[in-house]
Amino acid sequence: MDKILEVNDLHISFDTYGGEVKAVRGVTFDLKKGETLAIVGESGSGKSVTTRALARLIPSPPGRIKQGEILFDGKDLAKLKEKEMQQIRGKDISTIFQDPMTSLNPTMKIGNQIMEGLIKHQKMSRAQAKSRAIELLELVGLPNPTERINQYPHQFSGGQRQRVVIAIALACNPKILIADEPTTALDVTIQAQILELMKDIQKKTESSIIFITHDLGVVANVADRVAVMYAGKIVEIGTVDEIFYNPKHPYTWGLLGSMPTLDNTEDSLIAIPGSPPDMLKPPKGDAFAPRNEYALEIDKEMEPPMFKVSDTHYAATWLLHEYAPDIEPPEAVKRRMKGFAKTGAGNSKEGERP
Amino acid sequence: MTVTQEKLLEVSNLKQYFKTGRHSVVKAIDGISFDIYKGETFGLVGESGCGKSTTGRTIIRLYDATDGNVKFKGEDVHGKKNSQDLKKFNQKMQMIFQDPYASLNPRMTVMDIIAEGLDVHGLSKSPQARKQRVEELLERVGLNKEHANRYPHEFSGGQRQRIGIARALAVDPEFIIADEPISALDVSIQAQVVNLLKELQKDHGLTYLFIAHDLSMVKYISDRIGVMYFGKLVELTDSDELYKNPLHPYTKSLLSAIPLPDPDYERNRQRVEYDPSQHDTSEEPEFREITPGHWVSCTTKEFEAYKQELNKN
Repeated sequence: MDKILEVNDLHISFDTYGGEVKAVRGVTFDLKKGETLAIVGESGSGKSVTTRALARLIPSPPGRIKQGEILFDGKDLAKLKEKEMQQIRGKDISTIFQDPMTSLNPTMKIGNQIMEGLIKHQKMSRAQAKSRAIELLELVGLPNPTERINQYPHQFSGGQRQRVVIAIALACNPKILIADEPTTALDVTIQAQILELMKDIQKKTESSIIFITHDLGVVANVADRVAVMYAGKIVEIGTVDEIFYNPKHPYTWGLLGSMPTLDNTEDSLIAIPGSPPDMLKPPKGDAFAPRNEYALEIDKEMEPPMFKVSDTHYAATWLLHEYAPDIEPPEAVKRRMKGFAKTGAGNSKEGERP
Repeated sequence: MTVTQEKLLEVSNLKQYFKTGRHSVVKAIDGISFDIYKGETFGLVGESGCGKSTTGRTIIRLYDATDGNVKFKGEDVHGKKNSQDLKKFNQKMQMIFQDPYASLNPRMTVMDIIAEGLDVHGLSKSPQARKQRVEELLERVGLNKEHANRYPHEFSGGQRQRIGIARALAVDPEFIIADEPISALDVSIQAQVVNLLKELQKDHGLTYLFIAHDLSMVKYISDRIGVMYFGKLVELTDSDELYKNPLHPYTKSLLSAIPLPDPDYERNRQRVEYDPSQHDTSEEPEFREITPGHWVSCTTKEFEAYKQELNKN
């Protein structure tokens, strides 16, 4: 598959009164055409900042891209001028934001909000843009689009608003769609509808999606590949099967272990102790070491490089070094690695229903 | 602490209507009944707007019920009470709120936040005893006693939720209503807080009403689960039974919508959609017991069908 986007050694910092917050500290990944890459991690891990940088939505000041490059279509987005970026943002790269309640303009009819990008980027006339807006609303599954385009955001429910936000993001057939926790604010049933919708549209338009979330269930549902971020770095990246069935990084183990399985309630969840580090003063060595029960002495001194597990699977942990002791993931995580659903007694019946 | 058959809380035919205009009424809770046994965790799930939070808030008297009654240890919770009875009741029932950012007064120190209940109920004999009790509580919920003199803004979300839990525990309650206590927290922190709640339950013999929309977490923590839909309970049973043999179509659709962290399973998961018009409408549905302890809202015809469905499995 062709690479559509390449991010190399990206560093992003925010200058605050307290000092320099190193939000992203050297992130490298690529995105292939038509695939969905999920980025997971806790709040403050830098996942949102990374993807905002791709659309150059980091407010500057206080934020700045310190180093690194974002290669898209032969251009380095990190160095483009705002005027040039405006040609790309909303057209080739568009974003679905987390909170559908606040990402729409409450004083504008939703039709106009969808048409804005079409008129600007595609040089459509108002009439053309309007009929395209109606098409888009149909595509995202809103009933009565002809009437709905003349309504204001407050006349829509949360799920409907998120559909409108998706319609806006899709308006110009973007090559890359960045979805920043698009379903976190929604109920499970609505979430399921929105995820199905996004997959459906992806099939039709062949766009690539970067999907940010902290819900591993959603990741398993949508992703082709997964990047796990911690303290401004990617600590593990691989295909969705590799990350779920053969995780190598203790942080990934922790994330998997903190999700309840459906079968047993006896052993308690494996909580990751402590909280994420303060990025004003990132710790020396491996940033996860203070919370990591498997931390080796070297973790306190030196940051681990990315070790190769397979052609598609890399993890940054010293445990993969040839001299490292053999450490198995905890029992509960191993059980989860065999598959949540297989061990979960319930839920199988729903799958069989026509 | 094992679950007994002693009823701690009895909710019968509870209704909560809100007037939204001169002629329009929102029936947030429309006649629900359930019991909570001493020592158990009762989970209440449903989509936003189904009335699950309203139920919790009505039980603890944050709203006056429109109709129906709530009995706590055999005593009526609602209705007129003198201040002494009210105090006694307030001490036994406490609440943990969803949003740890909004539920702590930003202008009070952690010490005062946690001790407020102690002061109201006159539970600490001296300032030293008060301080000691607060420090004890802080350590109980996994914080340091040095934290007592700080303000809420100095804490992370998970730490704030721990403060909220310490506040609820301060007055030695028997029953705690936890209204989405973990949904504002990160996954790894969610597990910490849930483990803490479980531990506290074991040590203090607490009974929980756990309100949430995250079904997998609810399943993990609850002994029994009630599923709400549009102000009504549609199904109520043991949490294992609910996952193994869901009967009401709404429960099935809700369960089939949960994504699990297992790619293979996700590739094959089929979502069932809930269509309210599929119900038998020949009579008003009632809450009936299909097998012992498994209640579903259904008509007589559906009742027979559900029975058969269970027997087949």
